[in-house]
Amino acid sequence: MKLDGIRRALGTSGVAVARAVPDWSSRRLEDASIKPGHLVEGTHLEGIPVGQAESWPEPLAYLDGVQRSEIVGYVGTSPIIVAEIAAAVRERRRRQLHTVVEERRHLAVGRPHALAAAAGALGNLELVPLPDDEPVHPARDLARAAQAVDQRRGALEIVVGHRYRDRSDGWLVVDGPLTESPRWAADARTVGVCRSHSVLPFIGADLDCYLRLPAGHRSSIYEPGTRSLAPVRAWALRLWPWEGQDLLHGLVRIEVAPTQGLSESANRISRWLMAERVPVTAPDRRWDCLLYGIHSVEQYLRTRAV
Amino acid sequence: MTASPPIGRVVATELKPSTPHQFHFWTARESPIGIGAIVRVEEGSRVVYGVVTDGFAYSDLTSPLHAVLGSEGDPSLAATEPTARAEIRLYTAAVLRQLPEEPLQPVPLGSVWLASDTDVISALRMDGYTGRERATGIPVGLYAAGGLESPVYLDCDFLLGPEAAHLNITGVSGLATKTSAVEFLLGSIFQTFPPHKGSVAAVCFNVKGPDLCFLDQPATLNPEDLRQYARLGLTPKPFDIVRYYAPLKPDGVNLNTLRTNEALSGNTEPLVWGLREVLDYAEVVLNRDDIDAKADAFIDFLAERVVGREYLDEMLRTKPFMVQSFADLEEFFRRIFDFMEALGKGGEVWRTHHIATIRKVRNRLSNISTRSKGLVTDDGVSNDLPWGSFADRSVYVIDVAGLDPLAQDLVFARVVSKLREHLERRDLGVDHVVVFVDELNKYAPADGPDTYVRKMLLDLSERGRYLGLVLFSAQQFRSQVQRRVVGNAGTGIYGRMDGDELATAGYATLSPATKIKLATLPKGELMLRHPHFTQPIFVKFPRPSVLNSREGIERFPPAAELPFPDAVARQLRQLDRKVSSEAVRELIEGRHEEDVRRALAATRRERPVDAYSYFTACLGRRIAGEMVGTRRGIPALKQVDDSYGS
Repeated sequence: MKLDGIRRALGTSGVAVARAVPDWSSRRLEDASIKPGHLVEGTHLEGIPVGQAESWPEPLAYLDGVQRSEIVGYVGTSPIIVAEIAAAVRERRRRQLHTVVEERRHLAVGRPHALAAAAGALGNLELVPLPDDEPVHPARDLARAAQAVDQRRGALEIVVGHRYRDRSDGWLVVDGPLTESPRWAADARTVGVCRSHSVLPFIGADLDCYLRLPAGHRSSIYEPGTRSLAPVRAWALRLWPWEGQDLLHGLVRIEVAPTQGLSESANRISRWLMAERVPVTAPDRRWDCLLYGIHSVEQYLRTRAV
Repeated sequence: MTASPPIGRVVATELKPSTPHQFHFWTARESPIGIGAIVRVEEGSRVVYGVVTDGFAYSDLTSPLHAVLGSEGDPSLAATEPTARAEIRLYTAAVLRQLPEEPLQPVPLGSVWLASDTDVISALRMDGYTGRERATGIPVGLYAAGGLESPVYLDCDFLLGPEAAHLNITGVSGLATKTSAVEFLLGSIFQTFPPHKGSVAAVCFNVKGPDLCFLDQPATLNPEDLRQYARLGLTPKPFDIVRYYAPLKPDGVNLNTLRTNEALSGNTEPLVWGLREVLDYAEVVLNRDDIDAKADAFIDFLAERVVGREYLDEMLRTKPFMVQSFADLEEFFRRIFDFMEALGKGGEVWRTHHIATIRKVRNRLSNISTRSKGLVTDDGVSNDLPWGSFADRSVYVIDVAGLDPLAQDLVFARVVSKLREHLERRDLGVDHVVVFVDELNKYAPADGPDTYVRKMLLDLSERGRYLGLVLFSAQQFRSQVQRRVVGNAGTGIYGRMDGDELATAGYATLSPATKIKLATLPKGELMLRHPHFTQPIFVKFPRPSVLNSREGIERFPPAAELPFPDAVARQLRQLDRKVSSEAVRELIEGRHEEDVRRALAATRRERPVDAYSYFTACLGRRIAGEMVGTRRGIPALKQVDDSYGS
């Protein structure tokens, strides 16, 4: 984003110009918690070997989104944040990835009075007003802005995902949970790959088993307890050995539509995902859980940032 | 111009910025771009032409370790990765030309297209000398890239003078670079040399084997060669006028060349020189230690006062000397030594020349007549190039392959000097002469003594262009040739090169990729430097339309060396096909060979209608020149104070 112009305009309209990148600028906010899931495979959680990695049948597409925010000024003590959100689907054909759907938006986030005061300087940015129900608190406002940007980015991913599904019935791997969209959650050819384990579905011995899966193993299938909006089936899959690394190293959570939540499907999808471990996305620090296709979408979106 | 989609895009970063002389661009993984490809960049009103000098490919992998990790240490698994890594093809190009040329600015971040025919003309500045009224373009080859093929022209003002001149060719042997390139280019020059530039001829020194022995014989060309000739606007045909000169073998009648097949004898004749021709270039046969003012003065004395005119010194002989041959000169020296011997003490100096100087000059001159027997005749009858009547578009090949190196130097020095003299006087018969010398490293080595030939080559390379005397030279290793000689060559051709040679300083300006391409150039492709081209350009050229040496030798195998009478008969048959070997054998039976050689030389020089009768008549009378008796040897000097030391 070219923010210098916005800042200049803000300066001339009496807004205090700021130049800061919040620490949540390009990542999603999550709280650690335990939300018990409900086992749908077997009577107790166990690690199941998925077998030899297998190539995913083509075509396969990846969906991901990116976001980037920056504080551009303060009206009084109310911050004004400008954010860019983008999402895209890149489809793999003959081992090459090609962008098939892409969306990009530019937002201005702030309290209504701040946005009104800076309206002249914000041009065509999409205005995202924050709730004005509490007294101004810059840190809290920033946290709320982060949440708003995150939601908009998630919504944009859904738009992009639907547009892809409208044009193709191929497999779609989504970076993150499926439950943001009931349509995804019901789509038999959409797979969510979640790298975050902030919300854990088990406790005690089951959690031990869940988090200490050996490489090439998946957990029993369960129904996440947090997914009231759109029920899905999920399991954990260890892509890389964690021994000698962190407990969460190489551990991803897979989400699929309930129709795919059977043992055989889970094993097959897991084998396909095992094959997607390569090419590795190092030196990205998330390489143990970041599939190359997802990484490619991120790279693509970032390099095309305006 | 921009109807076709671009094949790349200029990219500039802080580490790899665009400059006025270089830029970088990326392309799709599959593109027609290769090292040497010419490209066009367009951005706004600015057009930049460049030639690709280097290429890079890399992926988003930052460490090979990640690749190992990804395939669990098994290389065979690496190929099974479901997604191919993002990969870039990045090329570096050197700027050939910018339009507008001023102000000269860094290359803009524009789209990149593969150059079309028109682009190639513009990029290489050929629009300045082709396609206009007094065009001076000489086709040299085809630039080819991405399915496009464009003729490339040299500017004859810069190839044959007067703006710049000379051509140097470098390349390893046996890969159709040096000889083939020269044969093709000479053919091209002869066909396209513009009329307003006057006339042109070539003198080629054949220094090894049968390389240039079949320039008048057509080659069998394949359809691809013919297509290339047509694309270049040339007619594939051998040279129309070719004359071969070769020294005789020591027997004085057999030619010392591989072009002795009787079918080719019509335009092959002996190169024979007498004392006069040698004496003028005596400096060539003197080594560095010999060259001093005293020896020079004595040689000048011989040349100006003795050789070719009556010289009387009653102290030596009452009858005037008429020195016309080495035999006459030997007699002259003998008289001097006899006279000084007779003087006894005090007989060290004759006419201000010390006897040691005289002895040295005598030894050197008699040495050349011995070592170059066949080239140098004792009897004074010479057969030389047609000085003054060189024909336009003619090639004169002098075959010195079988000669002693000293004699090669002599031939080379004399021919080039004569060319220069005649061109200075504008009476050679043509306005421009291309002199082709192979193995230049032998005649103008980077190291070694500063010989007469090397000095002469240097002079030719530095001043020849003003006269229309142009040096086309070739060698395997450019680094082994005197730098100023090759440095003065306005145009350079590089065939496949040896890696060691490419590692020398002379190639430091070439990119590693260009060097690799040079080291692996296929037959018929070469790299070209020319004053109008700001960067080297790769071109391909068709096979020369003349028979190559291998095929020539197979089709026209050299005749066996004949016995003296048969060799004489064969030479006479070149003048008169009716002459029979039997008749000649009978005629010369019992004659001295020297007499026969004189008669043959006289017949050859006269070229009478009835050669046999003329030859018979020559044999019947005393031919000019006299027999020299057995050499008596030079008497030893008495104890004298020799200023030259031992």
